Amino acid sequence: MPAARHRLRIPAALDRVADVRALARSVTDEIGAPQVCVDDVVQAVDEAATNIVLHGYRGRAGWLDVAVEREGDRVVITIEDDAPPFDPTAHPEPDLTIPADRRRPGGMGIHLIRLAMDAVAHRPRPGGGNILTMSRTLDPRPMEER
Amino acid sequence: MALETTVERAEGRVPITIVALDGELDASNFEGLTAAVRDLYEQGTRQLLLDLTDLRFMASSGLVALHAIVRIMHGEAAPDADAGWNALHTVGLDAASGSAQTEVQLCGVQPAVQRVLDRTGLSRLFVTHPDRATALAAF
Repeated sequence: MPAARHRLRIPAALDRVADVRALARSVTDEIGAPQVCVDDVVQAVDEAATNIVLHGYRGRAGWLDVAVEREGDRVVITIEDDAPPFDPTAHPEPDLTIPADRRRPGGMGIHLIRLAMDAVAHRPRPGGGNILTMSRTLDPRPMEER
Repeated sequence: MALETTVERAEGRVPITIVALDGELDASNFEGLTAAVRDLYEQGTRQLLLDLTDLRFMASSGLVALHAIVRIMHGEAAPDADAGWNALHTVGLDAASGSAQTEVQLCGVQPAVQRVLDRTGLSRLFVTHPDRATALAAF
């Protein structure tokens, strides 16, 4: 049986990010992923796509190609765009011991991605743009319990 | 999936406004929720219960909305999205020591949403109840 794999292209618009969440749910449901894994994949794909729209394209027109697939015991998410170079993994981890009023806004998205995913990697896209790859095992436990 | 909000009133020891969220709270709609709560405050709401029973997803932008809502309910101007993380400072909350305000409380928080609150430390700011009936009895 071929591995579950689905692709979707959306315009770079915040009100279309729901479509990639639906894609993530569809694929993870199809492969029978545990609920915590489903939730983590949905969260990560949302935060990553939103970051690309807001901080990559910054209001410009554009597109995101999102693929969600199973590779062995992992779910792999790949997001490609043609926005100016934007590496979300380069943002420092927010220090949650700092009172919330002193934290920088916008750092919570990548923080949530790091807690939801086992691996996150950014690389330039040949010809321009970005490729963001994120993966998570099918482990039914949240990161905090592993 | 969009976000639908339903507003109801209840009388506990104090008048309570209940805002029930149904759907997904994300970067496309969190400002609308903030604006709705601002309207409620201007109409007299002083105790707010957010019923999250049917909220299946909350993005990090939803956390900014929660901050803004707390600030609004403390009579402060709502911050813009970029200033969202400053909200707690202006209402004098002490997130680091774990004190929770009580003007805005939560009920029916689903596991995925609870995980987001826990992972960002925001759960410390809210009194949460398992369901609406329990929450209304506690106000």
